[in-house]
Amino acid sequence: MMLDTSDQKNFVAKVDDLKVYFNSKRGTVHAVDGISFDVYKGETLGLVGETGCGKSVTGRSFLQLLPIPPGVLAGGSITYNQQTNSSQRIETGSKPGFPNSRNFEFKKVDLLTLTGEEIRKIRGDSIAMIFQDPGKSLNPTLTIGAQLSEVFLQHRTEEILEMAGLGSEAPGAIRRFASQRNRIFDKWLVNLSGNRLTKSRVEKAVADLVAKALSDTQVPNPVKLMDRYPHELSGGMKQRVMIAQALACNPDILIADEPTTALDVTVEARILDLIQDLQQRRQTSVVYISHDLSLVRRICDRVAVMYAGRIVEIGTNNEIFKNPRHPYTIGLMKALPSADTARGELLAIPGNVPELINPPQMCRFSSRCAFATDKCKNQDPQLEKVTNSHSVACFADVAEISGK
Amino acid sequence: MQLRDYILRRLMVLPFLIIGVSIVVFTLTRVGGSPIGIYLSHEMTPDEVLEIEQRFGLDKPVWVQYLQWAKGVLSGDFGWSGISAAPVADVFPLKLAATMELAAASGLVALFLGIFLGTFAGARRNRAPDHITRIVAVSGASLPQFWFGILLLIVFWANLGIAPIGRSDATVFASINHPTGLYTLDAILAGSPRAFWDAIWHLMLPAITLGYGATAIIARMMRSALVEELQQDYVDAARAKGLAEKLVLKKHARRNALVPTITVIGLTFGFLLQGTITVEIIYRWPGLGRWMAASVVRGDQGTLMTYVLFTSVLFLIVNLIVDVVYANLDRRVTLGK
Repeated sequence: MMLDTSDQKNFVAKVDDLKVYFNSKRGTVHAVDGISFDVYKGETLGLVGETGCGKSVTGRSFLQLLPIPPGVLAGGSITYNQQTNSSQRIETGSKPGFPNSRNFEFKKVDLLTLTGEEIRKIRGDSIAMIFQDPGKSLNPTLTIGAQLSEVFLQHRTEEILEMAGLGSEAPGAIRRFASQRNRIFDKWLVNLSGNRLTKSRVEKAVADLVAKALSDTQVPNPVKLMDRYPHELSGGMKQRVMIAQALACNPDILIADEPTTALDVTVEARILDLIQDLQQRRQTSVVYISHDLSLVRRICDRVAVMYAGRIVEIGTNNEIFKNPRHPYTIGLMKALPSADTARGELLAIPGNVPELINPPQMCRFSSRCAFATDKCKNQDPQLEKVTNSHSVACFADVAEISGK
Repeated sequence: MQLRDYILRRLMVLPFLIIGVSIVVFTLTRVGGSPIGIYLSHEMTPDEVLEIEQRFGLDKPVWVQYLQWAKGVLSGDFGWSGISAAPVADVFPLKLAATMELAAASGLVALFLGIFLGTFAGARRNRAPDHITRIVAVSGASLPQFWFGILLLIVFWANLGIAPIGRSDATVFASINHPTGLYTLDAILAGSPRAFWDAIWHLMLPAITLGYGATAIIARMMRSALVEELQQDYVDAARAKGLAEKLVLKKHARRNALVPTITVIGLTFGFLLQGTITVEIIYRWPGLGRWMAASVVRGDQGTLMTYVLFTSVLFLIVNLIVDVVYANLDRRVTLGK
């Protein structure tokens, strides 16, 4: 069932038999029902599927951002191969020596079982997320600078203090100020005559980090942008800010949940270029969640096709798009317009996605599948290897189908 | 810059609004009976009545009377208060201090308690704290003040005998000066803990009666606004940055939830002002509300006009403050456009 590769050491994250259910009045919805895949270092993995197939839920599981309850983690694990390598942090101008970099080893943790405090250290630092609608993902009442600085205040306190010329002997109030842990009287404490100067140095350090992060996303005039409010920015600009925010701490994994769906096509191309550019420079792995096949084809190294809470096919970009093996993937390809598709040749997959409430033991695509046999109605197909990197969950003679 | 212009513009409109309000009220006092009813009695001869009418200028056309009243106000003469048998300008500050003490005590508590309760409930949606807050809030918003006040009075004053009525114990306050007119503050200035507790003790029931409804309204509004904000994408985005849940709530969701709540708080102020009338009557609180109620019943124009003038100005200023706070919280609000 699992996708095995010879290159085991390279994975940054390994999703194993992940199950996320939602309790509803009518029964348990199996939104994600036992999916497994690896994310390799520096790659872009596309997670494609229709609305409601569980791709966003999968993405959010990485950061424990699921609504629980009504959601239930019914099983599985996401092993994260955490590398706390100091060379990763150089880009933000730090020196080795602060707690984040003392560990040069790979450390494997299960993202699903981490405590609140532990997952918070990972969120925004080693694993970051970009959301669908940049207009809604920014707080309308705070300036861009204030929102971006939060990432640094959460994860880069030592670095900020160092940049401000303060070491470990920084006063408690200043330290709390630089890590967003203000206590009730700190507002006055940091403004005392002795602290005011250090406070402004800390603010300057944070502002420098924010400006650097913004300028990495090629926004014009980043310093000026910091004082603006989200509603004063265009959609593309807002998504750039979100990207700057997500990549601020050089994450190992970036979960991009349809980051360009809310943007128009010209902006989309530029945002994609930006993500790819930053990804290559920083060796970030990107999990790109999308329903746009042509986009996925353009940017992803590997693609996992999801249907009704399952991965039905996973493989490299070429394997999926040149040699699709699952009837659903094939159906998707036929529904995909391209420059040489003749008029009227686009095909739709008949039927609807089955309900995911207490699904029976059968192939979930069988009700819409032209190749369904009795076996499909009685047994649940598992992912089987076709090649070393290509797996498919289907009983039908895949070679025959793809020959059509 | 823009904000200052807006405030100036609003302040410039203020006098015209006040003139409008005063004309309406001046006219209304003429419809509801004799404006000098308090000076009349059954034993008076028509000549005596006529003489009083002449003294108050009632024989002149109404617009002349209005202008005379306005001229007096501009020169600081607010007329004669029949029910207090003293110039309005002399009595007014004392009454105002009493009402302000009551309104501030209940208003500030309602403001902070309401926002706190709403946040507390909204962040724990559909759990026990939410249900309890809901009961408190719904009962607070639906119990009529006159009923709730009398209920408290019956239980704590008449039956249990532990709560006082009135504003203070005269024997305790006999030796204390009143530089501010706010008894709690006066007691602190005089350094008398006994007087301070006496003032607080007297303040308790009226403030609870007055503040309960306002707390309920603010808490309900805050709760529903917060529940809505917590479902927004930026809350998840803030969590994805690694922010602690407390910070997500305080810095992100609550700030946005305050935006609609501020509007309601502005409206609640009017509710509070109206409430002082009932509450002051129930607890024999010597404030503006009771003063005004007596002046309406007995036909005392000088007192009534001053009260209405004052409350309308106050209300306009509070609304201006609400607008400014609103614009400061949410930068998408552009003032004066």
